[in-house]
Amino acid sequence: MKMTTWIRSGLLTVLGCAVGLGSAEARVKMVALPERAATVIRLDNPSATLIEEERVLTLQKGVNQVDFSWNGVSIDPDSIRLKVLNHPDQVTLLNVSYPPNEAALVWEISSAEPVEERVRISYLLANIDRLITYRFLANKPETQVDFKSYLVLRNFSGEDFGTSRVQLDYGEAFEQAIGHEETKQLLFLDAGKVPITKVWEFDANQLPWDPEKVEGNVGIPVSYQIENKEASGLGKNALWGGKVRVFQDDGHGSTIVLGEDSAALVPVGEKMKVNIGDSRDIKVVQRKMKEERINLRKNVNDQVVLYDTDEIIKTTLENFKDSPAVLTVIEYIPGQWDMVECNLKYEKKNSEKIEFQVALNPKEKKELMMHYQRRNLR
Amino acid sequence: MRRKIGSPISMIRRGCCLVLLLILPVQAKMDLVTLPKRDGVQVTIYNSADLTLVRETRELTLQKGINRLQFSWANTLIDPTSLEMLPKAHADKLAIEDLTYPPRTQNLGIWTIKSQVSGKVPVEITYLTSGLDWRAFYMGTLSGDEKTMRLEGYVRVGNRSGEDYEDAQVRLIVGQVHLLDQIAELAQRQYPYGAPAGFGFRAKGDSDVRERKDEMNKVEEAEVSAVSGYMMLTDAAAAPKEIIKEGLSEYFLYTIEGKETIPNEWAKRLPSLGPFDVPVVNLYKYEEEQYGAGVVRFLSFTNDEAHKLGQTPIPDGMLRVFRTADEVGHLSYEGQSEFKYIPVNEKVELNLGGVENVVVTPTLMNFKTENFTFDSDRNVSGWDEVKTFKIEVKNTRPVAVKVEIQRNIPGVKWDLNPDGDCGLYEKVDLDTVKFTLELPPRSQKEFKYTVREYQGKRAE
Amino acid sequence: MKKLLLTFWVMSFLVPVSGWAKMDLVTLPKRDGVQVTIYNSADLTLVRETRELTLQKGINRLQFSWANTLIDPTSLEMLPKAQADKLVIEDLTYPPRTQNLGVWTIKSQVSGKVPVEITYLTSGLDWRAFYMGTLSGDEKTMKLEGYVRVGNRSGEDYEDAQVRLIVGKVHMLDQIAELAQRQYPYGRPDVYPTSAAAPMVMDEMKEMRAPRAAMKMAMASYGGSAPKAIIKEGLSEYFLYTIEGQETVANGWAKRLPSLGPYAVPVVNLYKYEQERYGKSVVRFLSFKNDEAHKLGQTPIPGGMLRVCRTVNEAGYLSYEGQSDFKYIPVNEKVELNLGTVQNVVVEPTLMDYKIENHTFDNNRNVSGWDEVRTFKMEVKNTRPVAVTVEIQRNFPGQKWDLKSEGDCGKYEKVDFDTVKYTLELPPRSVKEFTYTLRTYQGKRVEAAKSN
Repeated sequence: MKMTTWIRSGLLTVLGCAVGLGSAEARVKMVALPERAATVIRLDNPSATLIEEERVLTLQKGVNQVDFSWNGVSIDPDSIRLKVLNHPDQVTLLNVSYPPNEAALVWEISSAEPVEERVRISYLLANIDRLITYRFLANKPETQVDFKSYLVLRNFSGEDFGTSRVQLDYGEAFEQAIGHEETKQLLFLDAGKVPITKVWEFDANQLPWDPEKVEGNVGIPVSYQIENKEASGLGKNALWGGKVRVFQDDGHGSTIVLGEDSAALVPVGEKMKVNIGDSRDIKVVQRKMKEERINLRKNVNDQVVLYDTDEIIKTTLENFKDSPAVLTVIEYIPGQWDMVECNLKYEKKNSEKIEFQVALNPKEKKELMMHYQRRNLR
Repeated sequence: MRRKIGSPISMIRRGCCLVLLLILPVQAKMDLVTLPKRDGVQVTIYNSADLTLVRETRELTLQKGINRLQFSWANTLIDPTSLEMLPKAHADKLAIEDLTYPPRTQNLGIWTIKSQVSGKVPVEITYLTSGLDWRAFYMGTLSGDEKTMRLEGYVRVGNRSGEDYEDAQVRLIVGQVHLLDQIAELAQRQYPYGAPAGFGFRAKGDSDVRERKDEMNKVEEAEVSAVSGYMMLTDAAAAPKEIIKEGLSEYFLYTIEGKETIPNEWAKRLPSLGPFDVPVVNLYKYEEEQYGAGVVRFLSFTNDEAHKLGQTPIPDGMLRVFRTADEVGHLSYEGQSEFKYIPVNEKVELNLGGVENVVVTPTLMNFKTENFTFDSDRNVSGWDEVKTFKIEVKNTRPVAVKVEIQRNIPGVKWDLNPDGDCGLYEKVDLDTVKFTLELPPRSQKEFKYTVREYQGKRAE
Repeated sequence: MKKLLLTFWVMSFLVPVSGWAKMDLVTLPKRDGVQVTIYNSADLTLVRETRELTLQKGINRLQFSWANTLIDPTSLEMLPKAQADKLVIEDLTYPPRTQNLGVWTIKSQVSGKVPVEITYLTSGLDWRAFYMGTLSGDEKTMKLEGYVRVGNRSGEDYEDAQVRLIVGKVHMLDQIAELAQRQYPYGRPDVYPTSAAAPMVMDEMKEMRAPRAAMKMAMASYGGSAPKAIIKEGLSEYFLYTIEGQETVANGWAKRLPSLGPYAVPVVNLYKYEQERYGKSVVRFLSFKNDEAHKLGQTPIPGGMLRVCRTVNEAGYLSYEGQSDFKYIPVNEKVELNLGTVQNVVVEPTLMDYKIENHTFDNNRNVSGWDEVRTFKMEVKNTRPVAVTVEIQRNFPGQKWDLKSEGDCGKYEKVDFDTVKYTLELPPRSVKEFTYTLRTYQGKRVEAAKSN
């Protein structure tokens, strides 16, 4: 970005000539190019990046014209703001003009005295942003992870930024230089050891009821849950969404990859859920053992107008692993229903979704029986 | 500059292209007198249509008897049928007999003026042109607590009319005018009023217009690089210009203080409103049918005195909202909202888009049908559907927010019983209810409601 | 390791960023060790290499380039293995107008040699398991041998590498191969990475690979006299196979290693009949359990193709019996290996009797309900010289029914509300026969039927 100050008082005649009516010369720009200083790259809004930069203008008494141009850079011109920092009572922005066919504007600034004035220019700049990635290293028993989060700065704005202050939506600003077409990866959050909960989840609407009848392996999705709270060493701020890669210490001074997932924004107090892969050592087979119409209500033509159903579902849960697992089983019963009998405890998540937490010991096999009646079907 | 593609564009020339020649006194013996420059010019720019009313004052030197005044407008975008001349003195001693568009000429009109006096006479010439435009836009800066927003309005005036307007009084009209024709189209007719149907050269004339347009486009392209920059030499005002606002008929007129020079192809940004420190409400809305599953953030205020506004309507435009991020006034960008014209005393809600930091989760916790009724054939004739919803509302922001939850209830007849901390409950219309909750920083609330919908005979 | 270049730039503390051009270049010694962990559920390999850096006090810059490889640049990570508290890795920069190049900025409080570990993900290496089974003459035991085949098309030679294999399904969002070919490692804002250049890179790589592969005469291998052992252990939901010692897997080559057995596994010759699933023919299965009773049960068995032969005489000549592509077998899981349809075991159902009865009528004396009664004769024939187990499943979908069996029907079981199963044991060269009578309820009769 270029910047030129035109001092109108004293140069009036010169400019008058240069600009004379009917002249077809290019716009005359003159005088000092103030150096950019104290640049802030503010990356707190995922939809737009705000740049603030300070420059010192040498202003004459009277009306000064300051030229600001941004060739090859995508700036939203309406978003450009100029703030006078040292003498707001003496220095006033009068108006802004946009010359034809140029990525530029001209500020008319009035000054009561000749003065060196520091101004701050703010604008929204396109094609510069940040990504967040996470790298978790789980310990061998899978009770905690080394929690690291990286910031990736991507600058494709057309502008080279020398050392600038980079500000995210929380935390201290830090100094960083980033050139055009440059990408930089920085460690920005090292939360140390963060406890995790490992979760296995069978969702009766997502997974096949009988894995035997499916070609290929059927696994039970496994995820890690991390609570964004102080007790976990987190909880100070929301965790941004981004790609998470999970590794595990293999106990031999090396690691393996457990998997990767895309995390959504996690506000304070919420849980981050990272799907790492499938478990093939937990098997769920579900069968419907009964489905019958009962409690028939008929019209005068002996047609059934209203009935209930009596249904039994049998689910076999088997842990082939050497370690225990708590399996979350999600079942759906549509419409209105009453549970007649169920051998395991469940929690109703909504009108048609219930959830079981089934603790399975190593090599244990359990059976879940649900006997329910659906009401008032027509 | 919001120019529609394909509209006729700027013609190039420098200085005045509107040329006035005075022809004295009778046709045969014509003395050409070059006129002094126009003494003053006023442009009144509309934004609802590509329309600008230009009013210029010139001083004519007339002779007793018939005077002919020639006016040409080559390479501009003016509507020749809109030309009008009014004497500003000796009005009773001057008669404007006619305005003729001579044959086989273009962009040329001749006024016939019958004068009973000799000497200088000031006249006002008005016409409509296209190619100038203006739009409003705004910047809002929220205070740290987000309770007030410093509102600053700007207008951006652009000139692509082919004409430089120097030292012009600039006035802007806010409002919707009804126009039959595109001024830009009128400006390019071969004959100002067209030709009667069946006129032999009509077709040719049309194609002429087309060719001419093409030519103009070419000229414009070719000249882009040559368009000379223009310094704006304005009065050495020490303060930004004020804009005087007044209502006229259904419109609002903004008059920019003093004189502006807007050279052809330039645009200019001028402050038009404020800064005002407007008290605002951080309003978050949830309505599945309208916004989907996310919460949408609004900034709400009223264009009235209580909100440091209410002097004039606020023209439509884009508002960019920033927030003061630290003590030294660094800013953070919050979002933007394009809003409609805001009349005085009107409440506005500026939509800043979907957010993730305020969350509303409705869950249907229970569903049952009961109270079946049967008709004489023992067919089902009516029943009740009873649904219990749990609504969880979470504010993860460090500031207090207000959350509005609208729920649409299908069905003709229903009863609703809220249960728990549901804030203000309100029935909006036949099938909509609204819950309004205030949430302190970083807090959550939960409430339930049970709705019984009466179906069939039960609705009676 | 010819394409992964690590060059090392040392600069004093005060040299500005723009002064890279004047930096000293230090060529590093070769990598000291490399370990590859290859996945088979995704085209993914974790590479870990150790190198010794010579650092200076202050800011050091380390350049890493990966042209013509298939590595994911966003996965690059460096960890000091000593003096970790005195070293800070400040950032990893992908400089503008370069490709396949990253620069680490390392701030060091010490001078001298520091071992570091560099890890990254690559694509192009793969492995798969396959098996050979040899049935004994009586078909009561099968000698099971497992192998793994490791292939390398990554564009990189891995010499003297420790090779590890992961059994299990990892959840991946992106294809590593795709990440490896992006113009910018993390893409650019609002613009998706261009793929136009990708095919060219691929072609180039193939060209480069061919001669390289041809030049390699053999894989340098470790000079042991016994086949290498594979150490197996469970990690999270996966199984890790570590191949003993070091292997060289050159680009373009593949290698086969024994991974399992041989074990003499007791098996059951199981024949299944289920018209809805297999049609009219009987399908042969070999059934066993991955447990100690079957000489297995130490580790899960990765999915793969099993080719089954049978010993036909004392001299150990073999006959090919069939093949089966099986899924992952957890420890203690029962497995049934599908060897395809056979003709030498036959199941023939015949409808012997059909009648309609128990009509009901509505108010208008129209028919409103009835029962349909069918009697089936089931004939089961084993023409083989060995004993077999036959499983017969019958489905009655969407109906209300009662069933009565008669004769030698073996074990009867209701599988679910519309399926029943008969399990019969047949001696060599024998025939069995039984009948069942199925009553299905139609129309109004459904309401009258008792729960079954």
